[in-house]
Amino acid sequence: MKRYFGFILALLAIQNDLFAAEAGMPQLDPKYWASQAFWLILVFTILYISIAKFYLPKIKNNLDNRENKIKDDLDDANKFKELSESKLKEYEKILEDAKKEIIKIHIDSKNILNKDIQTKKEAVEKDIEKEIVKAQKEIIDLKKNSVSDIQKISEDIASNIIEKISGDKLNESSIKAAVEETSKKNLGKYL
Amino acid sequence: MQQFNVHKIGPEIKIAGVDLSFTNSSLFMVISASVILLFLFLGTREKKIVPDKIQLIAEMFYTFVAKMISDTAGSKAKPYFPFIFSLFMFVLFCNMVGMLPYSFTVTSHIIVTLIMALFIFIAVTIIGFVKHGFKYLNIFVPSGVPVVLLPLITVIEIISYLSRPVSLSVRLFANMMAGHTMLKVFGGFVISLGLLGGWLPLGFSVALTGLEILVAFLQAYVFAILTCIYLNDALNLHH
Repeated sequence: MKRYFGFILALLAIQNDLFAAEAGMPQLDPKYWASQAFWLILVFTILYISIAKFYLPKIKNNLDNRENKIKDDLDDANKFKELSESKLKEYEKILEDAKKEIIKIHIDSKNILNKDIQTKKEAVEKDIEKEIVKAQKEIIDLKKNSVSDIQKISEDIASNIIEKISGDKLNESSIKAAVEETSKKNLGKYL
Repeated sequence: MQQFNVHKIGPEIKIAGVDLSFTNSSLFMVISASVILLFLFLGTREKKIVPDKIQLIAEMFYTFVAKMISDTAGSKAKPYFPFIFSLFMFVLFCNMVGMLPYSFTVTSHIIVTLIMALFIFIAVTIIGFVKHGFKYLNIFVPSGVPVVLLPLITVIEIISYLSRPVSLSVRLFANMMAGHTMLKVFGGFVISLGLLGGWLPLGFSVALTGLEILVAFLQAYVFAILTCIYLNDALNLHH
């Protein structure tokens, strides 16, 4: 309690001291007006000159730099965007062309193959026809030959049969004539 | 009040019988200017495309003041940008440095704000006459006012024009002084009410400190924007 009291007393003493200094408004005392005006003008002039000549151009310069940089970067970005778009178009065009070419190649190769197949088919067909003709000729030849053979065989058989039945040997030419006549009559049945 | 007292530091400097001694006020002007220059030095030391914190803050101040000028005074006011920027920074940093305990608030002295306001007033008037010649006097004769009222309005306009330096300087000075006085009064209450009742004024003190930081910024802004508006009147004759 005593300590608090002493503390408060001390504070009051300081406070009284502070209040003692208050004698009106020092602002209205003209004693230092000239000094304040002089120093204000001096300090402010120095401040103004150093700000105007040195610091503001620096800040302005830096702000302009930043603005230009941002503008340039944006321009660059736009340019790159356009570039990429044109590249994309180019790429799409190339893709389209390639697709067209593929279709063309497809059709072309199809045509070539068809033609090839056609010619080969025709050649094969011709061959086959030739073979057929040949074979038919052969058959006809064979038939013709077989007719003469058959005639001969018939003559032989006929002379043999006549010999066995009658015991006589007949004239060959007359047998031949008889066989020829009969075969001419009946050959149509077999050929 | 003690915090507003001006006292000599170092030897007395007298030029032509006028006392121009270096005072604590001068010291805090130098400190504020040095802090501004140090801040700008750090903020412009590296020219990064992606700024670091201090560079970003410096650039924010730049764009803030640039926007303020272009919004209020248009593109014609561009040559005065360095002056407005220096003015804004100086008032702001004097106010802010004054918020530190045991420091001195340069802008809480009427002579300081009055000199700034008078300089602005005279400069703006000269700019107006240089740009428009005697047509600049049209600023006192608003268009679209009935002829009967014209003498009265013109007188009012002239008075309001001439009271610009007073209002500009007193606004800043009174705000700063009143704020610091309030803090002082509440600080005094904390002590006189002691441990039992001192908590309430202590809370007020804390709240007021926050408010005063806001006021310090706001008054610097108001000072700069009013300068822009006066400049706008001189550059673009609206009336």
